[in-house]
Amino acid sequence: MASLDYAYRRLVNTLGPERVARSEFERMVYSHDFASLPKIALLQWKLYPDFVALPQTTEEVAALVKLSDESLLQITPRGGGTGWYGGSVPNRGGVMIDMRKMNHVVAFDPDGRKVTVEAGVTWKDLEDFVESKGFALPVVPVNAIGSTVGGAINSGSSGFGAPRGGSLRDAIAFLKVVLPDGTILKTASEADADGHLANLTPLFFGAEGTLGVITEATLRVVAKPEASKAFAYAFPSLAAAARFVTDIVDSAIVPYHAAVASRDHFIFERALRPDSPDPADIAIVAVQGSKDEVADQERSVDVLAAKESGAKLAPAVTDPLWRDRYDNYSARRLSRGLVTSYNLVPVGRLPEAVETAIEIRDKLKLNGAVQAFLVDSTTAALVPYVLMDDTRPSGGTALGFVKRMGDAAFKMDGHSMGLGLFLVFNLRKMHGRATSFISSVKVVFDPRKKINGGKTLEVWTKYPWPGLRAIPPPGMAVGLEIAAVLRRAKPTRDRFVRAYEHGKEE
Amino acid sequence: MGLLRDWNYIEKAVQIPALSEVIREALIRALFVRDDRVLPRDLIGDLNRVPPVTVKVKDDGEVRKLVRVLNGQESTVSLGLSAEDYHYFRTQLGVGRTREFGAVMRPRILLTYDWIVPEQRGVQLDFNGYAGIEFADDAHRAIAQVGATWKQLYDGAPAKGHAVPFVPTVPLDFAIGDALYGDAPFASYRGEFASHVNALRTISPFGHRARLGFEEVANNGTAYDLLHATVPLAAEFFIPVAVALRLEAKPAAGKTLTYAFDDGPKLAVALDKLSRTTQMPAWAHVTDAVAAKILRPAVAAEAFTVQVSVGGTTSGLAPKEKAIDTAMAGFKSKSAEVSNPFDVPADAFRKTADTVVRSLFVGEVRVPAKAVGDFITKIRALGDQSAAKAGVYASLRATGTVSTFPFFAAPKDRSKVYDLSKGVRAIASRIPGAAFTSRLAHLWEEEPNFMRRMAFLRSLKVTIDTAHVVQPLVSP
Ligand SMILES: Cc1cc2nc3c(=O)[nH]c(=O)nc-3n(C[C@H](O)[C@H](O)[C@H](O)COP(=O)(O)OP(=O)(O)OC[C@H]3O[C@@H](n4cnc5c(N)ncnc54)[C@H](O)[C@@H]3O)c2cc1C
Repeated sequence: MASLDYAYRRLVNTLGPERVARSEFERMVYSHDFASLPKIALLQWKLYPDFVALPQTTEEVAALVKLSDESLLQITPRGGGTGWYGGSVPNRGGVMIDMRKMNHVVAFDPDGRKVTVEAGVTWKDLEDFVESKGFALPVVPVNAIGSTVGGAINSGSSGFGAPRGGSLRDAIAFLKVVLPDGTILKTASEADADGHLANLTPLFFGAEGTLGVITEATLRVVAKPEASKAFAYAFPSLAAAARFVTDIVDSAIVPYHAAVASRDHFIFERALRPDSPDPADIAIVAVQGSKDEVADQERSVDVLAAKESGAKLAPAVTDPLWRDRYDNYSARRLSRGLVTSYNLVPVGRLPEAVETAIEIRDKLKLNGAVQAFLVDSTTAALVPYVLMDDTRPSGGTALGFVKRMGDAAFKMDGHSMGLGLFLVFNLRKMHGRATSFISSVKVVFDPRKKINGGKTLEVWTKYPWPGLRAIPPPGMAVGLEIAAVLRRAKPTRDRFVRAYEHGKEE
Repeated sequence: MGLLRDWNYIEKAVQIPALSEVIREALIRALFVRDDRVLPRDLIGDLNRVPPVTVKVKDDGEVRKLVRVLNGQESTVSLGLSAEDYHYFRTQLGVGRTREFGAVMRPRILLTYDWIVPEQRGVQLDFNGYAGIEFADDAHRAIAQVGATWKQLYDGAPAKGHAVPFVPTVPLDFAIGDALYGDAPFASYRGEFASHVNALRTISPFGHRARLGFEEVANNGTAYDLLHATVPLAAEFFIPVAVALRLEAKPAAGKTLTYAFDDGPKLAVALDKLSRTTQMPAWAHVTDAVAAKILRPAVAAEAFTVQVSVGGTTSGLAPKEKAIDTAMAGFKSKSAEVSNPFDVPADAFRKTADTVVRSLFVGEVRVPAKAVGDFITKIRALGDQSAAKAGVYASLRATGTVSTFPFFAAPKDRSKVYDLSKGVRAIASRIPGAAFTSRLAHLWEEEPNFMRRMAFLRSLKVTIDTAHVVQPLVSP
């Protein structure tokens, strides 16, 4: 391996000194993603990159990838760093490629209804751009403010609009990718050929940065709706709110968005913002169409809500809720840290799923809330989160919640989402015997495991020595299970919000 | 269907010194039409060989066993055949010689044409008898064994409270599996067939049951989405035996709106406009007069007919119809009485399908809605020049793409198929944004990115199928 100083000089020669960082502070910023990691993780992984590089063009990304053949340093692509499971965090240091300087709109084709953007553009910026042109995005990831186009594609994200607009995968016309050998590939034909003409795009959907670096994405845009409206209801229980969502699906109503959030979520919000809605188990539904259709859908949805004793909230409450829809983890400010568990469950089992999430949270004596939203006619995303303080010794044990939630999702015929650095043990649970098919993809694209190696399919450690180089993924599962057990044994519940505790005691 | 095998064969053939003088396109033609003026007779003999053994599958356990025999894990004895069959099987396959043999799935119906390089020595699997459908009670899903017909699925769904969102653009009596190992053009207005597939139950090249995707939920965030990358070619990687399908709730009310247009430009404007609204019909299909005459012989055929299937709440149907009427402005007449090709009894559906299938089809051309009128005019002219009257079946997508299937009244001989395919390709190449996606079009394409993508798919195939049993690649 070339020396780090030599590697640094080569990087600087490629990008210039202002776009290569190696100071302790800068490296630290990149040593975690949205999830809070206990310090103990540093024993296992070298979470700090050796260098951070900020390319501005596809050619620069290609040059960085080629350089790693000399330096033998691992490459970790990173977008907004808002992922939850360490996908954008190094495990063996190396070169972090921060894509956020590649944040331009490259082309807009209103006739062909496509927009081409650099991969570091955030979804919110893209949405604003597309709307300024009189169009809309078919799907917008829930975290539109922080997440980048490349990051969301690599996470297999879903979000607003999915019940109508379909999967984010289908919204991608094609991608420009720098492959591990430093060459550039377009992943599908430029014309809309559906899955034909060798469409490799789906392989990059959920790839967690392990197949190459996406530098540009050409995405489909749709007509801006003539009318759209969001309305919200407070329900007597979270399960009732969830039943309401399943009723929407069974009634063949296709909303733009349908989501539920537990009362706890609004207690946290209230602690931070006194003008937030009165805490309750709330469902929010947004519909689109012609004016007449929107009115008709609203009437139909009102009837379904009434069936579950849902009380419609005033527009003065609903409108800000909808306006701030991309901002849903402010509770993090109450505790310093937050752990989210992202799972897909069958729509019909959503009522059971939300109750299970509450049960697991309570068993582990955590503070947290449950959110869920509709993905398609069979699938709902179940996204509970718990608060944690990673500076306290017991903080890291909250990660046990993610393991227990994932296990519960599999039991309900669903699956957890995302593998990254911590959840690789779920890969075999997800794919069973097909795991080897899935692993073949990495073998074909990145046989030398240069890009984000040792994640998603296997768990590398920071140690290069045989026997310690990797840990068997079930080992991670055991670790997280122990965290859950310790968490359960903890005599007291976390106390981040007093009002929340009152709510529990009532 | 047989795409990677055909493509690999051509790639290898163009590297053979004796054939390297022949330009790629001429070689493809020679191989496709079995031209004995260009190719050695032995080679043509090889190409004309068909799989010697056909197994009618009743149970996926048989497929597992067969795969293990074909990949050498088990001996032919374990197939438990009678002595006579056993002997036949072994001699036909040439078991015991140093040959590779694989399994290939036989489509129930082919819209276009079969492969250039058929499976030479192996086993053909016939799934027509493996045709069960399980509808979920608590969700809008179904598991269809690959031999189940689309019509069976479509007709069975409403009784269970479901609707099947995808329909074949050309109404033939396809099996569901034909979309995986044939060329069945299933799609809905909102998406292609793959977007309605949650999972595939497959038999791996090592004889294991392996599920790709998740039967109950979407496949998001679980590492590479191999399922959706391979759906149209699934049977070249593994043996798909059942498909987990994402259905929708049966709407309380539904209607088929039929609009007649008297010229192509007006049709194109209307389709483009419809796809720029927020309307989400189940499907929107287009026929020209020739296709309309075949589908509805009793009704006077208009120059162009668009049928739009809408569903919704009882009160919601009227506003939807109004919005669609507005988008379709320019139509000559409208009716809600004309039946659609799908909501008819199975016998009538099959009868129509038998007529439809007689035409010569060359595959799918995807064109932007705005260009559809122009495209159809050019296809007609091609038909006139080739003394083969042309027509078109088509369906619109929410993306504004129209998936068209040109057809010709001509005998289905290979030279004719080839020449008409070439003509269609020439037309498609002159329309900006159009793509011809037939198998021949794949073989002709030489764009460097495409060639690399195909090479990746081939590597993926041989990495997954190290045993070389699922439609193994062959070289000349
Ligand atoms: C408030 C909030 C809500 C969220 N909601 C959702 C949700 O609804 N659905 C969901 O799926 N996730 C959700 N997440 C998780 C996360 O935000 C998403 O996965 C997000 O899309 C990641 O985008 P990012 O740009 O931050 O990517 P990062 O976190 O930087 O990276 C994610 C993965 O993608 C890779 N990557 C990033 N950019 C590239 C690139 N250009 N080329 C190759 N690989 C790349 C990284 O290596 C990493 O493996 C949410 C997170 C937050 C904080």
